[in-house]
Amino acid sequence: MIKIEHLSKKFGDLEVLKDVTVEIKTGEVISIIGPSGTGKSTFLRCINLLDRPSGGSIRIDGVDILDPKSDVPKVRQKMNMVFQSFNLFFHLSVMDNLTIGPIKLLGMSKVDADRKAMDLLKLVGLAEKAESYPDELSGGQKQRVAIARCMAMDPKIILFDEPTSALDPTMVSEVLSVIRRLAKAGMTMAIVTHEMDFARDVSNRVLYMDDGVIYEVGTPEQIFDNPQKEKTRTFINRIRSFSYHIASPDYDLYAMNAEIETFCDKQILPVKTRQNLLLLVEEMLQIYNPLLSTVLLDINLAYSEKKESLEVVFESTGEAINMLDKSLLPDELGLTLIQSVTESIDYQRVNNKNRVTLILKKK
Amino acid sequence: MKYRLIFIVAVCLLCSGFVSKPLTSLDDLRDKRIGVLLGSVHDRYASSTYPHASILQYKSPSDLVLGVKSGKVDAAIYSYDELMELLRLHDDLAIIGDALFSTPIGMGFHRDNNELRHEFNSFLKQLRSNGQYDSMIRYWMTGHAVKMPKLQQSADGKSLVVGIVSDNGLPFNVVIDNRMVGFNIELLERFALYSGRKIIYRDLEFSNQIAALQSKKIDMCAAVMSITEERKKKIAFSDPYYEQAANMFALKKNIAVSNVVSKTRQKGKSVSFFESVANSFQSNIVQENRYLLILEGFKTTVVISVLSTLFGTFLGAIVCFMRMSSNAILRMLAQTYISILRGTPVLVFLMLIFYVVFASVNIDPVFVSVIAFGMNFAAYVSEIFRSGIESIDKGQTEAGIAMGFTKVNTFLFIVLPQTVQRILPVYKGEFISLVKMTSIVGYIAVQDLTKASDIIRSRTFDAFFPLIMVAVLYFLISWFLMLGMEYAERLANPKLKRKKIINA
Repeated sequence: MIKIEHLSKKFGDLEVLKDVTVEIKTGEVISIIGPSGTGKSTFLRCINLLDRPSGGSIRIDGVDILDPKSDVPKVRQKMNMVFQSFNLFFHLSVMDNLTIGPIKLLGMSKVDADRKAMDLLKLVGLAEKAESYPDELSGGQKQRVAIARCMAMDPKIILFDEPTSALDPTMVSEVLSVIRRLAKAGMTMAIVTHEMDFARDVSNRVLYMDDGVIYEVGTPEQIFDNPQKEKTRTFINRIRSFSYHIASPDYDLYAMNAEIETFCDKQILPVKTRQNLLLLVEEMLQIYNPLLSTVLLDINLAYSEKKESLEVVFESTGEAINMLDKSLLPDELGLTLIQSVTESIDYQRVNNKNRVTLILKKK
Repeated sequence: MKYRLIFIVAVCLLCSGFVSKPLTSLDDLRDKRIGVLLGSVHDRYASSTYPHASILQYKSPSDLVLGVKSGKVDAAIYSYDELMELLRLHDDLAIIGDALFSTPIGMGFHRDNNELRHEFNSFLKQLRSNGQYDSMIRYWMTGHAVKMPKLQQSADGKSLVVGIVSDNGLPFNVVIDNRMVGFNIELLERFALYSGRKIIYRDLEFSNQIAALQSKKIDMCAAVMSITEERKKKIAFSDPYYEQAANMFALKKNIAVSNVVSKTRQKGKSVSFFESVANSFQSNIVQENRYLLILEGFKTTVVISVLSTLFGTFLGAIVCFMRMSSNAILRMLAQTYISILRGTPVLVFLMLIFYVVFASVNIDPVFVSVIAFGMNFAAYVSEIFRSGIESIDKGQTEAGIAMGFTKVNTFLFIVLPQTVQRILPVYKGEFISLVKMTSIVGYIAVQDLTKASDIIRSRTFDAFFPLIMVAVLYFLISWFLMLGMEYAERLANPKLKRKKIINA
C-alpha cells in the first residue's frame, strides 16, 4: 500500500534520514525501534509530510505524494497520526475532538459523526467521557481519545509516534491494549516505540533503525531473539544502559545516585544488587577523585537481560594509567571492597582512553 | 458639596499664606503667581514685565478664570471686553489698575491665501461704510447681548473652515444654547453670507490656532488674536477689526482697595446641600439645553471608541501576522511599527497625524482620531494576539495538519478559538483604556464628552459638577462595554457554556 524508496531528510547540514526504503502492506503492523536520535520519529513525520522529505519517493497505492501537484491535506486524511504528547484540541469536548475532522473535512452530517464518534469512544472505553474536556482526562485517557480521533477519519494507516513515552508507567498498558485491539481488527499501523515487549507481540515486522537508515528488518522473533547484525545485537543486549559524564570534581553526586537508582528501578534489579552497585560506584569515584580536576570520566552501566549481568565501565581521558593498580593506591581498603562485589575487573587502553570494565556479582 | 466648600476654604487658607499683603497696585505682582492664556500676547507681556513672578500658562480662558477663582494664581491677565462681561456675572472678581496695553485684533489667514484675506478686507470695508459695524459694536460691546441677531441662513456654498476658541467669552465668542454666539460669530456669518460660503467651526485651543492655519487644517482663524510682528512672520492678518486692551484681574478680597467681599460668600453658605446640587444640575445640565452638548459628546466618544477598536483590532491582526511571518523584512517592519507606536505618547501621535500627516487635507477630525487611536490600539493588541497565538502549543497545530486540515483551516478551527479565549481578559483592559484615552481628542477640535464638559465649565465656571458628571459617564460607558466583553468571554469559553446547559 505504501512504498517508500530512498527517502532522505536533512535539517541544515544534519542528515537525519539517509536512504530509507521500505514497503508497508495493508493490514500490517510495523514497529520501528532503535536508539534515540536515529531518525525514527522523523521517518514517521516524513511519511505524513509534517516534515517534507529532502529526497526519495513515497507512493500510496501507486500515487507519488511528493509530487508538487498532489493535494497534501487530502493525502493526510488517509494516514492520521498519534503523537507522543496527545495534542488533543483543548477548546473542544472529547466528542467534538472526534467529530471536527469528519464534519469539516469529510462533509459528514453532525448526526452521523456523533454516532460514529460514540461507537469509537465505546471501542476505546471512554463513552462516559464524551462531554468532558481534555484537561479533565488522565494521560492514558487523552491518548485513547487521540487514537479514537484518528480512527474517526477512517484512515488507511495510523502512524504512532512513541504513543506511550509521555505516560505515567501505570497508564501505559491501557493505551497499549487499545492499540493491540486495533491490530487484531486488521488496522494498518506503523509504531515508533520503546516498549520492546509490546513491539514484540503486536507487530508483523520490526524495523531496527540506526544512524538514519533501516539497519535490519525482520519478524519480531528474528530481531529480538536472533539479530543478525552487530548494532542490532548490541542494542537488543543493551536495550537498557545508563551513562553519566563527570567533568569536574564538583559533580552532582546526589543527582547521579538518584539516576542510578532510577535505572535500577527500571531494570527491576534486586535491592542487594542495587546496594552493591552504589557501593562500587562510590569506591571507584573515591579512587578517581585525585584525577577528576584534570581528566574527563564517563561511567557506563549496561544490563543484559539475557545474561542477567550488570556491566560497569569507567572510561577516563589522560595518560595511560590503571587506577586499580595496587602499587598506585595508598591503601587496599577500597580495592578490597570493590573486589568483594565484582566478578571480574579488566583494564584496557582503548582509543587513548583508560577503560576499566567491572562485572557485578550476581546476588 | 460640603467637602467642596471645605476644600475651597482650605485652598483659600493656603493661598492666604502666600498673599500675605493685599494687592494695591500692579507692582505688587512682581513675585506673585500670574495666570495667562498660553501663546497669547498676555503670555509674552507677563514674562517680560514680571521676570520674578511665576507665570502659569492656561490652555483655555475658562481654566484661566477658574484658576483665579480657586486661588491657583494670585492674578491673571485677560482682554478687557471679555473681563467686563465676566465681572458682570462674577462679583467676586475685580480688575487691578489700568489697562496694561492694547493691541489691534484681526482674522488670521494662511500666508498663501491672499484671495480670502482680500475678500475679508473688502467685506470689512463695506461693513464699516454702511454702518453695520457700528451697530454690531453697540449690540455686543455695550448692549451686552447674549443672543445672535436674526441673520439669513448662509448659503450652501464652498465650505470655509474657521478656527475658533469656543470659550473665549462674551462679547466675542461663547456657546449658548449649544450654538456659537458673539461678535466674532456674527462677523463670520455675515462674511459667509457676503462671500456665499458655508462655515464649519473648528474649536481649537488658542495655542494651536497658528499651527492649524499653517497646516491648512483651517482656512481662517477667528480666535480674537492680536496682530503682532512675530505672528505676522507665520501667518497673514486681515485689517484690524477691533482694538482691545488687556487688564489684570484678581479676586476682589485680595485687592486692597475694595472691601465688598462677604456678600456672595454668605449667600453660598445659606444654600443647603440638596439645593446647591439642584442648582448645579440646573445650571450645568438644564440651562441652555446643555444636556444636548453632553449627549453629542457622549455619542462622539462612543463612536470614536468603537470605530478605533474595530479598526485597531483589524490592523493589529495584520501587524501580528507580519510580526510572526517568516519573512524577515515584514517582521522588522512590524517590530518597528510596534516600537514607534508604543514609544510615542498617544496625544503627540494624534497631533502628528492631524497637523503633519494630514496637513493640507480637509479631513474630519473624528476620522483622524479613529485612525490615530486605531493605530495605537493595533500596536498593543498585535502583541497581545501574538502572545495568545504563541501560547497555544504547536502540537495541536500539528495534530490538525496531520488530520488533513490546511494550515489556514487549522488556524481558524483550532488555534483561533483558543487564542480568543485566552486574550479576551487582557484585550478587555486594553479596550477600556482606549475608551478613556479618547478624552484627549478635544486637542484636534473634536467635541467629545470631555470637550463638552469643558464648554459647559467655560460658561458656568463650576469645575465640580461637570467633571464629576463626565467621570460618571465615562465609568458608565466602560462598565457597559465591559459587560458586553464579559458576555463575549463567556461565549468563548466552552466550559462555562456547558455549565450553563447543565444548570438549565
